[in-house]
Amino acid sequence: MRRNFWVMLATLLLFAPSLGSANPSGVGEGAFDAQCGGACHGDADMNRSSTSIVSLHSEAVAYEGLLTSVTVSIENIETTQQGLLGVFLLSSLSGAGDLPSDDGWTIISNSEGGTENYVEITVLPSQDQRNVTWTLRAPSIGQYELHGAIHHGTEDGSEAPFFGQSNTPAVVEVVLVPEDLPRLTSDYAPTTQRLLGESTTMQLETAFVESVEVEWRVAGGEIQTTEVMILSDGTWSFDLPASLQPTVVEWRAHLEGEGPSQTTPWFQLRSEEAPWTVDESAAYVQSFALIVVFMAGFMALQNRRPEGMNIPKLTDEEFEGGQI
Amino acid sequence: MVSSGTLHVVSTELTVGSFAMAGAAFLFAGLASHHLLGLQRHVNLFDNVAHFALAFGLLAMPMAIATGIASSPGDGIDHPLLINKMFLSCASLGLALGVLNVRYRQGPSIWAEKWGKRWQMLGGMAASGLILTTASLGGTFSRGESLLDILHLPYDFVPLMPLWLSGLVLLVGIANIVTGRQASA
Repeated sequence: MRRNFWVMLATLLLFAPSLGSANPSGVGEGAFDAQCGGACHGDADMNRSSTSIVSLHSEAVAYEGLLTSVTVSIENIETTQQGLLGVFLLSSLSGAGDLPSDDGWTIISNSEGGTENYVEITVLPSQDQRNVTWTLRAPSIGQYELHGAIHHGTEDGSEAPFFGQSNTPAVVEVVLVPEDLPRLTSDYAPTTQRLLGESTTMQLETAFVESVEVEWRVAGGEIQTTEVMILSDGTWSFDLPASLQPTVVEWRAHLEGEGPSQTTPWFQLRSEEAPWTVDESAAYVQSFALIVVFMAGFMALQNRRPEGMNIPKLTDEEFEGGQI
Repeated sequence: MVSSGTLHVVSTELTVGSFAMAGAAFLFAGLASHHLLGLQRHVNLFDNVAHFALAFGLLAMPMAIATGIASSPGDGIDHPLLINKMFLSCASLGLALGVLNVRYRQGPSIWAEKWGKRWQMLGGMAASGLILTTASLGGTFSRGESLLDILHLPYDFVPLMPLWLSGLVLLVGIANIVTGRQASA
């Protein structure tokens, strides 16, 4: 009983360091206030100020219920050896209750292929600047602020967590939609992810639109146009070419109608390799089976000697004297 | 605060170092028990070193696994290398437990006859070899290369059995251990 206690205690102590360590592999994307994104990083008592420069770019005016985009730009990036950097889009810097949804914004997508306000990006050693773009559906009429923030560790993993935020917010004036404004329908949500090697046919649902022109580009590259076909009144379709390697294709639509012409924000379409999946239950059970089978097999092998091959009795003294 | 990645390096070095020493000691114990290279009088030393190093490696292994999971990117098992690492380390764990169990039950006499010493040496060395291969997979996973790359092992092939078959094999193994214990009692 006493021995079991010490074995249990030793086992717990062996696990303790990993339980008490930070999250060098990140926490994954999610809906995080600045305070709880990665736990201690947002806590002013525990973190240090990041030297990275965080700024926001957005349209000054958005229409109620329609889509707009906000880009958080990070310059002079410092991060861990793995290059992991957490990026937030926030509605305030109060530390809690600061999700964009708390102000009525709805996140349609982000340039990392998700739909959350917090994303984790991997920064290559050669990169000094990165952008993360969110596509949002505007809330009700009014003036709103949006803030960007980041957190990260250090390259040697020995320092405190670092936190940084935008010095000035992006101020967006949300106004009433003019009656005849050419626009995407209020419930339109673009596809944001696809697999490598697959071309994508996108559909657009529009209102008060007589013609559509679509432009696309590989993120940061040359702008190209694609043919748009009308499927029915207010429904359009166009094809985006397949990607041969993981990348982000951006597209936007120019909408023409009786009202003032409109251009949608750039929408991001991320191409990724098909994820490798496995039945984890089967893998874990097979692992246990391997432990038991190899143990049982070896014990059985040693216990089943050929006939006539018996274990000689050997005292410790004989053994220590090399009398085998 | 020490990151899981740093702890993983420490714990894997403990594990791999112990298993490497165990593997070498099992080899020498086998040679000594076969009266080769004039090592006969050191068989006691090699026997103690081999089994102690193997047991110590087993103790360090849970920490290596836990810190490895904590430091690996992404969620869950999302790469064939990780599955193969898990299978290899579990096979090694089972083999090492078997080797230690046999040594505990049969005592030093295991080195006194042909059958026992041959398989004890091979079992201990195989357990060490499996752990070294596991460590090599870790190098391939984290750095994209390892010393064993020259062997062109099929790292991306996962020999995964159906759940029912693994369950059946698990039950057969447990039954084998139970009946073996009853027979020896």
